[in-house]
Amino acid sequence: MPTFGTLELTRVVDRLPAMRDLDTEAWALPGAEILQLAFEVPRATESLLPRAMHPAIPPYATIWVTRYAESPVGPFILAQLRLMGRAGAHPRGFVLGAVASTDGAATALRERWGLPVVPGQVAFRRRHDRITATVMRDDVTVLDCGLIDPEPISGGDVQYIHSVTLAHAPLDGKTDPRLIQVDSRYTIKKAERGRPHVGVLVPSAWNAEPVRTLNPIAATVTSSDTDLPRIRFVMDVEVPVVRGTRRIRESREE
Amino acid sequence: MKFGLFYELSVPRPWTRESERTVYQNALEQVRLADELGFDQVWAVEHHFLEEYSHCPAPELFLTACAMITKKIRVGHGIVICVPEFNHPIKIAERTAVLDILSGGRLEVGTGRSATWTELGGFRANPDTTKKSWDEFVRCLPKMWTQDTFSYDGEFWSMPERTIVPRVYQRPHPPLWVAVTSPGTELDAADRGLGSLGLTFGQFAEQEKRIAEYRRRIRSCEPVGAFVNDQVSTVNFLYCHEDDATGRATGRRMADTFNYLAAQLISAREAFPSRSYQSLGLLPQLRRQATGPDATEQAGEGLAFGGPQRVVHALKRWEAVGVDRVNFLMNAMEVIPQADVLASLRLFAKEVMPAFADDKPAIGAPAVSA
Repeated sequence: MPTFGTLELTRVVDRLPAMRDLDTEAWALPGAEILQLAFEVPRATESLLPRAMHPAIPPYATIWVTRYAESPVGPFILAQLRLMGRAGAHPRGFVLGAVASTDGAATALRERWGLPVVPGQVAFRRRHDRITATVMRDDVTVLDCGLIDPEPISGGDVQYIHSVTLAHAPLDGKTDPRLIQVDSRYTIKKAERGRPHVGVLVPSAWNAEPVRTLNPIAATVTSSDTDLPRIRFVMDVEVPVVRGTRRIRESREE
Repeated sequence: MKFGLFYELSVPRPWTRESERTVYQNALEQVRLADELGFDQVWAVEHHFLEEYSHCPAPELFLTACAMITKKIRVGHGIVICVPEFNHPIKIAERTAVLDILSGGRLEVGTGRSATWTELGGFRANPDTTKKSWDEFVRCLPKMWTQDTFSYDGEFWSMPERTIVPRVYQRPHPPLWVAVTSPGTELDAADRGLGSLGLTFGQFAEQEKRIAEYRRRIRSCEPVGAFVNDQVSTVNFLYCHEDDATGRATGRRMADTFNYLAAQLISAREAFPSRSYQSLGLLPQLRRQATGPDATEQAGEGLAFGGPQRVVHALKRWEAVGVDRVNFLMNAMEVIPQADVLASLRLFAKEVMPAFADDKPAIGAPAVSA
C-alpha cells in the first residue's frame, strides 16, 4: 500500500479557515490568466499532507497564481502553494497556503471553499520573455517566481489537477476539520510553456515548512474560463479517502 | 493464440532484506513452471524509481536468470527504454545480443520511451524528445545487430564505425515490438513493421478497432528490421480457480491492487505538459477501474479470472478481435500466495490451453535449435 501523509492535525487546527456551510453557490470566472509552476520538493513534506492522502512519488508542489478578470467580488489575483498527492487513486493538490489581492476575495474564498487565504499584495506581470508573479505580506516579499521564455503549446496538453482544502466545515450539525474537494473546470483558450524560476519562496508564509524548490519541472501560463464550483465531496482528514469520502451533492451545478 | 507471463515485480512495503528477493524468487519459480506447462513467453518491464509498483530496473538480468532455468519459453525485454539518458543504444545492442545467445535464440525485444515523470525526471530526460529518440533507436538497432560494421550520426547519438559484438543468435535478428498504451502508438508500430505490445487491459470494442487499423496499416509498412513482425499482443490478469466465484474474487483483488498502485504514478503529462505525451495512456483507465464508476463487473470485461470456462470465454473473445498473444500479470504486491499462483498456472495449462491448441510457430522462433 502506498504511504500516507503524516500531518499532525493538532499542529494546524487553530489556523484552519472556518466555512460557513457546504452550500456555497458556484462562481463563474471567465477570462482568467493562470500561471503554474511545478517543482519537486523534499520527502519531508509528507508531514504537511493529511493522513487521508498519499504523497506523490517523487513529492512535488505547484505554485498557482491566477489573475481573475471577473468574479462576484470583483477582479482579484490569487496565489496558492499546493502540495501534490493522491486522494485514493486520483491526483489532487492540497492547498498549503494562499494569498489574495483583496480582502473581499480572501474572506469569500475562506468561507466558501475553505481555502487558507490571507490578504496581501499580489502582482501578476507579463513581459516579452517572461510572466512573473510576486507576493508581499507586511512589506516582505514571500514569493517571487516566473515562467521564462514562453512558447505556445496546445491547451489540450495542459492538465490542471483539482484542489483539496482543509477547513472547519459544518456537516450533520457538527463543525470539524474536513477535507474539501474543489474541482474547478477549465476551458483553455491559449497556453504557453516555459522554464520555471523561483527567486523567493518563504515557506513559513505559506504554512509550508519544509518545502524547498529542489528540481524545477515545468511552468505554464494559460488564458482560461474557469469557475469555483459547488462542493460535491468532503473527506475525513485522518482516514484514507477510499473509506472516508462523503458525497454531499450529485453534481457541481445542483 | 500464444500465452505468456508479464512481470512488473511489485514489492509491498515494508521492504525487508528478504522481501525483494522473495518477489524475484517467486517469479523465477513461476517462470520455471510456466516453461514446463507450455507457456510461450515471459516478459519483464524496465521501470525505475516506481516504489512498490515495479522493482524491475534491470529486466535483462531477470530474463537471463529465466533463460538459464528454462528450455523453451521465450524471454521478452518488455520494454527497453529507448531514451539516451536511460540506455545507450550500443549497450542495448550488446546486452540484447548476449541475452539472445545465452537463451539460445529465445529473445524478443520490446521498445518504448517511459511514460512517467518519476522516471523521465529522475534521469533528467526531456519528455518533448522521447518519441524522436525512440524512433532513432528502433531504426538503428536491427542494423547494429546485423551489419558487419556500423556507424551513425543522428540527432540523439552518434558513433564512429565499429564492429558491434557479439551478434545476435537468431537470424536475421530477434522480433521487435513497441509498447502500446496511448491510442495511436499502434500505428507507429505498424508503420515500422513492429509488433504491437499492448499494455492496456480490457475493452474489446476499442481494442478491436485499434487492432484492425494496425493490421491495415502494417500492410504498407516500411520495416525498420529485416522482417515484419505483424503480431498483436495484449496484457491481462490471470487467476484461474476451480471455483469460479473464488477465482473472480481473488482476481479482482489482484487487479484492484495493481490498478490502485498504477494510479499513484505521476504520468509525464501530469507534471510536464507536452505534445509528446498528449494522452495520459494507461493511467486514467486504471484509475477509473480502481475507484470510479467503472469499478464494477463491467470493468472485468475480458479479464482472465474465474473458473476455467469463464477464462476460456474471455480469451476466445480476445482471439476473435485479432489478438495473437496474451501475457498475464499473475500477482500484484504478492496479494495472492505463491502456492495459489502456481495452482492457477497449472489449472490454466490443463483446462484452458487445450482450447487454444495451435500448431503455427510463433514469429521469431529460433531458426536453429540451441
